[in-house]
Amino acid sequence: MTLPDRSALSRRDYLRSLVAVGGASALAACTSEGDDVEIPSGTDDPDSLPERQHAWNDALTRDDDGNVRPPEHHVLVALSLVDDPTDEARERVEAALQELERAYEWSNEGLLFTLGYTPAYFDRFDGSLPDEVDLPEPRAVIGHVDAFDEFDALLHLASDHSQVVLEAEEGLFGEADEFNGQEIETDLMDVFERVDDHRRTGFVGPGLPAEHTDISGVPDSVPEDAPFFMGFRSGFAESQATEDRVTIEDGPFAGATTQHVESMTIQLRTWLEQDSHYQRVAKMFSPEHADEDLTGDIGEALGGSSGLTDERIEATESDARGGVVGHAQKAARAREDGDPLLLRRDFNTVDGDTPGLHFLSLQAGIEEFVRVREAMEGDDLDAPNANNGIRSYIFPNQRGNYLVPPRSLRALPAAAPDEA
Amino acid sequence: MHERDIDRRTFVRSTGATAGALALAGCAGFGADDSDENGADDSTGDDELPTPAFPEVEDPPDAVYLPTHRESMRVLEPVEAGDYTLAPMLSYPHPFWLVTGSGGEDGVQRVDPEQSGGVHLMFVVWDEETNVVLPVDTGAEIAVSLDGERVGSPQSAWPMISQEMGFHFGDNVPLEEEGTYAIEVEIPPLSVRTTGDLEGRFTESATATFEFEYDREFMLEVTDGVEYLDEAEWGEPGALEPMAHGAHADDEHGDGDGDDGDHDHDGDGHGDEHDHGDHDHHAAIPYSALPPAEAYPGTHLEPVDDSNESSSRDDGGPEADDLPRSGDAAFVATLLESDSRLADGEDYYVLVSPRTPYNRVPLADMSLRAAVERDGETVTDDATLEQTIDGEYDLHYGTSLADVRSGDSVAIQIESPPQVARHQGYETAFLEMPPIELRVP
Ligand code: HEM
Repeated sequence: MTLPDRSALSRRDYLRSLVAVGGASALAACTSEGDDVEIPSGTDDPDSLPERQHAWNDALTRDDDGNVRPPEHHVLVALSLVDDPTDEARERVEAALQELERAYEWSNEGLLFTLGYTPAYFDRFDGSLPDEVDLPEPRAVIGHVDAFDEFDALLHLASDHSQVVLEAEEGLFGEADEFNGQEIETDLMDVFERVDDHRRTGFVGPGLPAEHTDISGVPDSVPEDAPFFMGFRSGFAESQATEDRVTIEDGPFAGATTQHVESMTIQLRTWLEQDSHYQRVAKMFSPEHADEDLTGDIGEALGGSSGLTDERIEATESDARGGVVGHAQKAARAREDGDPLLLRRDFNTVDGDTPGLHFLSLQAGIEEFVRVREAMEGDDLDAPNANNGIRSYIFPNQRGNYLVPPRSLRALPAAAPDEA
Repeated sequence: MHERDIDRRTFVRSTGATAGALALAGCAGFGADDSDENGADDSTGDDELPTPAFPEVEDPPDAVYLPTHRESMRVLEPVEAGDYTLAPMLSYPHPFWLVTGSGGEDGVQRVDPEQSGGVHLMFVVWDEETNVVLPVDTGAEIAVSLDGERVGSPQSAWPMISQEMGFHFGDNVPLEEEGTYAIEVEIPPLSVRTTGDLEGRFTESATATFEFEYDREFMLEVTDGVEYLDEAEWGEPGALEPMAHGAHADDEHGDGDGDDGDHDHDGDGHGDEHDHGDHDHHAAIPYSALPPAEAYPGTHLEPVDDSNESSSRDDGGPEADDLPRSGDAAFVATLLESDSRLADGEDYYVLVSPRTPYNRVPLADMSLRAAVERDGETVTDDATLEQTIDGEYDLHYGTSLADVRSGDSVAIQIESPPQVARHQGYETAFLEMPPIELRVP
């Protein structure tokens, strides 16, 4: 793969494009760019880390409004098993992951990661997953989808520093000698192969989307400070499930969560160049948000809440009859007792040189994702397609379901761990 | 009205020019071509791509009005896809208006082409068996490829109405370079209620693919075909007549029914005697005209005196002038007896069919409700009229009602105006739509 042209890009842009390209040469280029950055090292005491792999929130910073700030750079490494799992392979995986934890602080400054497993992975075991785990094969959910994640596992690497995610990935696959200056002793190579076609990358944070206007599908009108391509802040504390809410509480996988990854491209040209700001706010949040100008340019006026009062959520149906309904308003109809069901950790992408989003969400069971996704689609609503939230601007093309086991079972768990 | 935010990439548009002086505005993009086919045109330089000018209409009325010009387009061969038949048409990128929600000022947005290169892609989708054009926002998706490579992200096609094209789907699609483009249109199952010969059909999604050559010749062809109306007519009440769809737009264009090009806004050519389906000498691409009022059976509801726009109109328009109006849309409203196939059991069926006043283009994606009163007492409070496409009566909004009788008053509430994008001449109509008061005779 060819490296991006250093001279044509800003430093930040260059680093980001290296993550997208991946590989040892990208890492080398990235490391030389990032020499000045001191990455905090991790811990020798694995027990000091949370039992939940998905316990990221306490390791992340928050913005002034108390919203969790996600790490800036992400890689989703698709993995397929070389051989059926053995105890030796389990030890190897665990040892490799502990090396990562030793080398990088468990934070946005260091490295956060999860290792999740698909239903296809669990199929190879005689036993079946316990009842507490709701992990069906992925299906289209809405419309049609071109591809499903049918490989075995997905390693989600996230950090504010692009060289960290690259180095972690390359080191696990024999293409780097050190993790943050510490020599690598164990890698994943005999256990897993990378499935390159399904490697996905991305970024999220104020100003990052606007640095991609060199891509033809990204208009110059992407708002300068927006953290997401579609131009608004997202992930308000009040609209996110807590880590407790998405955790499987009982059974052998207590402490696990389920993960869904929906990848999509976004039609930014029509969204940003044709619709007005008023129309975008109405379609993203609710018509009342637009009428009362509640969001500001990019959602900054909302503070720590998406402004979805019970009344605005309940108004969804009648707003639809009025011709337009908001994405957030619709999705919020799926809240239970006022609590959102999904913990969204989605990020922007330019994989395939097309703007898009990898919508990664955690929830206690996949059925909850499906319910929220259907509420978001709003097929039950009277609004015409073009004004039914953002559905006519996004084009999902890939889906996968995963179990993200607790840390103690993260290395090649059996479907029925008690019996293993 | 609405501020037009034209960014730096909006292409040149001459504003306020007179019809005679409408130059073709040039834009960079294509290879050199010295041809002078487009007449005296100083501004089209060597490597510039011809694009027509889009003059403004000053203070258009809040009603259907005559635009500045007739569009020109290339009509491709119809393509079949599952239950659907689709006719693609291509023109130059041009402004249109999006409508979101109530139809207040904020909900209407003028869209200018972001760049000169590209096409205005349109397609009409219909049912071959009944010739009914399917006029609702189904969520059709378009994907563009050049030489087998996908270009950009897919996009959704806007449902649109234009005087010449009637109901269609479309958008401006920017194209960076000349070449043979393939367009894939995926049409999902129809989510709206279907009745009569359409019942149970369009339940599967279908994909149609067609190709076209995008080059200078194409741009010259469609640009040359543009016909500007006399400036005195711009913004006058009226509508261009439906385009006669031929295999090739150029030889038909602007000629309408073969008359002298009079656009017929005085109504004499668009009354009952004029059958829009009858463009016999052309490949049969239907125009989305609804049947005239008389074609609807049942007891036609009558306007309550002085409560509707119709009574105040005296400009001698077409048949629609006898119909109640709201926001310049004409409404056929009729009460079908319980023996109608549309009615549930012993109920009556209220059929409401809003249409454009001149060309009878269906107004899709509205939300309507009906309330019935008798002697000042409420009989039916708030019945939702469900959007329906029927094999015979085409697009309408309807509901079954148990109790309606002669002398009752029926109020039709318009909760949302048609959520369809508009070409020039329709963007100021069908927005603010007050309720309509009717009476069962
Ligand atoms: C490009 C794609 C998407 C964008 C730009 C987007 C953006 C947003 C924004 C701006 C909000 C409101 C702010 C907030 O509460 O965080 C929101 C809320 C939400 N979105 Fe999305 N979203 C996208 C796709 C999805 C998808 C695929 C789902 C799947 C179900 C989804 C589910 C939700 C949920 C559940 C909420 C919160 C509702 C609540 O408050 O209860 N979004 N989204």
